Amino acid sequence: MTDVQTETPVTPAAAPKKRPIAWPLGLAGAVFVIVGSCLSWSYDGSILNNLSINFYPGGLQILAIIVAVVSLVLLVLDKGKLGWWLDTTAGLRSLGTGLAFFMVLVLAAISVESDGLINVNPGGYITLVGALLLAVAAWLMPLRHGLRDMSKAKSPAWAEIAAIALLMAALLFTAAYALGLDDAWLFILCLVFIATIAVGLFRTGAMSWVSHAGQRHRKVLTLASFAVAFLFPFTQDGSDANMSIATSVLVFAATAMGLNIVVGLAGLLDLGYIAFLGSGAYVAATLSQSAFATIGWKPPFLVVVLVGACVAALLGLVIGSPTLRVSGDYLAIVTLGFGEIFRFAMFNLDGNNGPNLTNGPNGIPGIPDLELFGFNFGAVHHPFGIELGRFSNYYFLLLVLTGGVILVFSRLNSSRIGRGWVAIREDEKAAEAMGVNVFGLKLLAFAVGAFLAGLAGTIKAHQDGAVSPDQYMFLESAFLLAAIVLGGMGTIAGVLLGATILKLLPEKLRFFSEYRLLLFGITLVLMMRFRPEGLVASRRRQLEFHEEDEKLADEVEHQLVEEAK
Amino acid sequence: MTVTEPRPAAPAVGGTVLEASGVTMRFGGLLAVSNVNLTVREGEIVGLIGPNGAGKTTFFNCLTGLYKPTSGQVRFAGVPRKAPKPVRPKKGQPAAPAAVQVPELPKLSPLPPKPRAVVRAGMARTFQNIRLFANMTALENVMVGRYSRTSAGALTSVLHGPKFRREEAATRARAQELLDFVGLGRSTEHLARNMPYGDQRRLEIARALATDPKLILLDEPTAGMNPQETKQAMDLIFKIRDSGLSVVVIEHDMRFIFNLCDRVLCLVRGETLVEGTPGEVQSDPRVIEAYIGSGEDDDEDDEDDRPQDITEEGTS
Repeated sequence: MTDVQTETPVTPAAAPKKRPIAWPLGLAGAVFVIVGSCLSWSYDGSILNNLSINFYPGGLQILAIIVAVVSLVLLVLDKGKLGWWLDTTAGLRSLGTGLAFFMVLVLAAISVESDGLINVNPGGYITLVGALLLAVAAWLMPLRHGLRDMSKAKSPAWAEIAAIALLMAALLFTAAYALGLDDAWLFILCLVFIATIAVGLFRTGAMSWVSHAGQRHRKVLTLASFAVAFLFPFTQDGSDANMSIATSVLVFAATAMGLNIVVGLAGLLDLGYIAFLGSGAYVAATLSQSAFATIGWKPPFLVVVLVGACVAALLGLVIGSPTLRVSGDYLAIVTLGFGEIFRFAMFNLDGNNGPNLTNGPNGIPGIPDLELFGFNFGAVHHPFGIELGRFSNYYFLLLVLTGGVILVFSRLNSSRIGRGWVAIREDEKAAEAMGVNVFGLKLLAFAVGAFLAGLAGTIKAHQDGAVSPDQYMFLESAFLLAAIVLGGMGTIAGVLLGATILKLLPEKLRFFSEYRLLLFGITLVLMMRFRPEGLVASRRRQLEFHEEDEKLADEVEHQLVEEAK
Repeated sequence: MTVTEPRPAAPAVGGTVLEASGVTMRFGGLLAVSNVNLTVREGEIVGLIGPNGAGKTTFFNCLTGLYKPTSGQVRFAGVPRKAPKPVRPKKGQPAAPAAVQVPELPKLSPLPPKPRAVVRAGMARTFQNIRLFANMTALENVMVGRYSRTSAGALTSVLHGPKFRREEAATRARAQELLDFVGLGRSTEHLARNMPYGDQRRLEIARALATDPKLILLDEPTAGMNPQETKQAMDLIFKIRDSGLSVVVIEHDMRFIFNLCDRVLCLVRGETLVEGTPGEVQSDPRVIEAYIGSGEDDDEDDEDDRPQDITEEGTS
C-alpha cells in the first residue's frame, strides 16, 4: 500500500487540545482497580465464588484486573508509536465505562446476595473509584483524528496467524470459563466483562486488523475455529451439564444454518421450518430400535439419516411447489400454517384418527443411543485420559454435521446457484428476464434447507432419546428465525453467534425464563431499528438494508477492488 | 435526408430470426397493442418508434414472455434444447467480433410466453428503466446472465466437482470478455449501483449478451445520454450487429434511430402506423402528425416527445 502514507496525519501536533491531567488520572484509575481487586470485596465469603480474601483475588476480581491491565497497555501505547494506529481513546472510553458498569453491578450483586451494601468491603469501593477514574480520564482524553486504518496495516503472516490463534485460544478459554459459572450473577457479570473487552477491542480498531488478517488467512481461521470447537469438550472434565447445553446449541445452530439458506440466501421467509427438523426426528424415531417405534423396519443409522433427510426434503418440495408462487408475507403465513399442520398431524396419528405412526401426544420415548461402527454414543470414553461423556460424543457428531451444513451453505452461496439467489432477491423480474430459473431456485432452496434440517433431526432424536409433538411448536421456528435476524442474515459467523446467544442465555439464566420472550422481542425491535443487518453483517445484506448510503457503497466497492487484486 | 450519415455497410441480411404476427395485448378495456406484425432477419437492426404510450414496451414484453399476448403468435428461430458447446475463438482472429458468436439458424418455432424459455431460445432484452442487480458487481451481473447457458447443479457446486470448476472458470472468463466487449473491462469489480449512468446502460447490454442471444431487444438504450454517449451507444450497437446478432431498438431519439436502423416500425396507440426504411418512415406525414399533431387534436398528442428532431427532418 503506497497510498496509505498519503492519508496519514501530518504531525501529532495537529491533535486537538490535550488535557494533561487525563493521562495520569487514567494511570491512577488503572492502578486503583488493580490494587482494589487484590483486596477483599465482600464480607461474605459464600457468595460470588468468594471475593472476601485479601491478596487472593477471586474470579470476578481477576476479570477486573484483566480489564485494568488492558487499559494500562492502551495508556502506554497512547504515548508510543502504535498510538497512531490504534484508537486508544475510544478503546479506553469503552473499557472505562464498561468496567465502571461492571463494578456497579458487582456491588449490587453483593448487596442483593447478602443483605445490603454493608457487606461490601473497602476493596470493592477502591476498585469502583478506580474504574470511575479510568472512565472519567478516558472521556477527558481527546479523540484521535486522522488515525491510520488498521485494516491497511501490513504485518508479517506469522504475526497474523499467531493473533488468530491467540484470539481463538482466548475464545475457548472464555467459553469454558463462562459455561463453568453456575451462578446467574456471575454469568451476567462475566458477559459484561466479555462485552467490555470485545467492544474495547473493536473500538480501538484492533479487531478490524484481526478480521482482515482472518480474511487473508481464511483457511487458518476456519481450521482454528473448528479446532476450538473440537477442543471444547476436553475442557469440561467429563461434566455433562455444559455439554448438554453445547449439544443443544449445536443442533440449534445447524438447523439455523439450514434455515439461513432459505431466508438468508434465497430470501424466502419460512416460519414453519422446525417441521423439517421434526420430520427428520420422527423418521429416526419410528425407524429406531425403540420399543415404542411403530414401524417394524430397523435399518442401520446411516440409512435412517438418508431416509429422514429425504423425507424432509420431499416435504419441502410438497409444501414448496404450490406455495412458492406467493411471496413475502403470504409465504410466511402459508409456511407458518404448514408448521402447525405438521405438529397436529404428529399429534393425531395415534391410531384413533388414522394409522398409528407417532403415538400421538405421548410421542416415541426410549430411543436408544446411536452406535456407529462399533462406537457407542451412550458410553463414556476416555481418550488421552480425559473423560468424555455421552453428550460429548453427540457433540462431536453434531460438530461434523454443523461443519457439513456450513460447507453446503458457503459453497452454494459462491456458485451459480448463489448468484441466482442474489439476483432473485435484488430484482425478481429482471432475474427471470435474464434466464434465471426463479421458481426452480426457490424450490431448491426450500428442498436443500429441509434436507439439512431433516439430517439434523435424525441425530437430535437419538440425542434426546424421545420425540413428541410439542418439541416442534411454532415458537421454535420463531427462535430459529430470530437467531438469523439477530446474528446477521446470510452470514455464517453471525448465525452461529445468534444461535449461541439464543440457546445459551436461556439455559444459563433460568431465573429469567419468564421474561425471556419479552426480552427477545425488545432485542429484535431494537435490532431492526438500529442494526437491521444483524450483529455480523454480510456485505451484501448491509448494502441492501442501506440503499441510500453512498459512503457505504463506496467503501464496499473499495474492499472488492482490493480483494480482486 | 440530412440526418442519415454514412454508416458501416450492413452485412448480408440472412434468414428470419423472429416473426411476430398479429400480436394483440389487451388489459381489461385497454387495447395496448393491436395486431402488430414484426419480422426480424439475421443481422438486421430494426427500430421501434412511437409517441409515449404507444405500446412499444408492452410489445417488447409480449415478445419476451413477460406478458402473454391476448392473441397472435411469436415465432422464433429457437435453439435446440441443449445449449451449444462454446466455440473456442481461433488464434489470430480479432478478439472483439469473437466475443459474440451466433450459431446456425434453426427453423422458426412458436415461443412459449415464459421469459426463461425465451432467453433459452436466444432472445435477450434490456429495460427502459435500468434494472441491474444493484448490489452486485459488474462481473457478477454479467455472470448472472450466463445462468441459462450453464447447468452445474447443487451437488457438484457443493462438492466443487470438475463440472463446477470448469463452468465457473468459463463463466468468469466469458463475463470478463463481454465486459471488455462493451468497454467496461476496467470496472469489473465495481458495484453496479456505483457506476455512472452510461456505464449502467452498457452493463445491462453486456448482461443481455451473456445469455448468448441471437436477437437482442434494447428498450431506449440512450435515454438520458449526452450526444457523446449516444454516439458510443450507436457504435456499440453496430458492433453487436456486426458480430452477427439481430437488434430491435426502441428509441425516441430520431436522429439516433434513423442513423442506426435498417428498418423502422412506427407504433401509434398500439397499432402499426408505418413500417419501412428510415427514409420512408421519416418522410411519412402520418409519423410527423403522430408526434407533433396535425393541429386539430393537439391536446390529445404528446407534445414534448422530442418534436424538435422531427421538425428538423420535416424542413429538410
